[in-house]
Amino acid sequence: MLKFENVSKIYPGDFVALEDINLTIEQGEFVSIVGHSGAGKSTLLKLLYAEEQPTSGVVSFNERSLDSINRKHLPFYRRNVGTVFQDFKLLPQKTAYENVAYALEVAGESDEDIAERVPEILDIVGMSSKMGKYPRQLSGGEQQRVCMARALVHHPLIIIADEPTGNLDPTSTWEIIQLLLKINSLGTTILLATHNKVIVDKLNRRVVEIDDGRIIRDNEKGKYSSVKVNA
Amino acid sequence: MGMKVTKLKRTFKEGLDNFYRNGWLSFATVSVLAISLYIISVTMILGVASTIVRQNVQNKINVSVYFNPDVEEVKIQDIRGKLTALEGVKSIEFVSKEQALEQFKKLGNNNPSIAQALDEIGENPLLSALVIKAKSPNQYELIVKDINESSFFTDISRIDYEENKAAISRLNTIIKLVEQVGMTLGIVFIFIGVLITFNAIRLTMYSHKQEFEIMRLVGASNIYIRMPFVFEGVFYGASSAVSVMIALFITSNFLVPITRGSIAGGSILDFYLGHFFIIFFLLLVSGVALGTISAAIAIRRYLKI
Repeated sequence: MLKFENVSKIYPGDFVALEDINLTIEQGEFVSIVGHSGAGKSTLLKLLYAEEQPTSGVVSFNERSLDSINRKHLPFYRRNVGTVFQDFKLLPQKTAYENVAYALEVAGESDEDIAERVPEILDIVGMSSKMGKYPRQLSGGEQQRVCMARALVHHPLIIIADEPTGNLDPTSTWEIIQLLLKINSLGTTILLATHNKVIVDKLNRRVVEIDDGRIIRDNEKGKYSSVKVNA
Repeated sequence: MGMKVTKLKRTFKEGLDNFYRNGWLSFATVSVLAISLYIISVTMILGVASTIVRQNVQNKINVSVYFNPDVEEVKIQDIRGKLTALEGVKSIEFVSKEQALEQFKKLGNNNPSIAQALDEIGENPLLSALVIKAKSPNQYELIVKDINESSFFTDISRIDYEENKAAISRLNTIIKLVEQVGMTLGIVFIFIGVLITFNAIRLTMYSHKQEFEIMRLVGASNIYIRMPFVFEGVFYGASSAVSVMIALFITSNFLVPITRGSIAGGSILDFYLGHFFIIFFLLLVSGVALGTISAAIAIRRYLKI
């Protein structure tokens, strides 16, 4: 479903963010991307939602190279990819409901459709009782749930989560991970970038480790660290 | 289809919200745009009005050829025949000295001293004349020249033309000056207006910076992201067009006493009201065009998507 072939990303000033990445992800997988800050995790994800273009190599989605997508059609591609971030990126002047509705509005969905789908999706993430609240009135965990709802509302094939729990307490963190697992169980591919060791170890799913722009490990049912030293 | 209309509706509303939320900034922007459009439209209206005045004056121009008292009417009619054949002559009217006296007496109706003076002279002191109208104002000079070089030159007492000519050329100079000053000022103000509008839209973009990223992430198309700013520009332009219409109404109301009678069919206010829709249409088109151009510049320079 997702394929990186010999992908490198070099930023101006000869800063090598990614080097010769080869990675294949199948539909329905739950993959954790781990590594230090600045290892290249975020760059890898940005290539996937076409925020950045690779310097060399090919990133493809369902056998189609992202390079070959006309810039005009990129928005339509992006609707296949739901994104969740550490800093939420919610619009502060809009309520939880409006933030989710917004994703459908820009896609030109009808008002009736929006009125029907938004409460549904907010119910899935457990936020239906707080639809009318503004982001500042919600806790970090609640805000992240709203973000998940926004990411899900286009029925994406894949969810890209870049440190989604970075700003959350352990309880909220675990709730968000539960939610990601639930979404994954319904068939959506999940790509989770994190450096939360506890989560990765508990998940016991595929782990890809990046260091210095290279993939140094790719384990089916992996742990956060390759060497099990600390019990 | 329905989807496009929905998107257009949403971006229109977003643009209106931007316009509304900008408050004082919108007010200042509309004011500067309106001032530039006002200057240009006043110039244009003055231009059109003075052209009408000029045409009226030109219609009143004629060349009067006065004949010596000893020239018989038969001879004058003969000369009239010859003159009619000249190129550029539209019409020639014969005014006998008796008719001239009638007209003169009519003019001096309220003045008994004129009638008394005429009685004193005893005979009719006025001259018979041919009143010539040309097809176009620049042909008078040629006609006068032809008459001066003709065989019947010696029968002519005098030709009245020069004074009118001076009046017309003075009018032309004024019109030209008004047009030049107005146009220069107008262009300067349009430039400032576009700059101010562009800046207002740029500030809106700045305050929406965070939204662009989110819009892109949730799959908004580029055109969907841009349209609200285009609409914002359109609102600036349309609002200034409406303001200028009001300002022009007040101006022409104010100018009524000065302009009454100089324009055929009434004052400048009648002119404004008579051409209300065409003036409004032109202003709306120019205002919207200026707003859209400003938005396009701002989008090109500052909206990176």
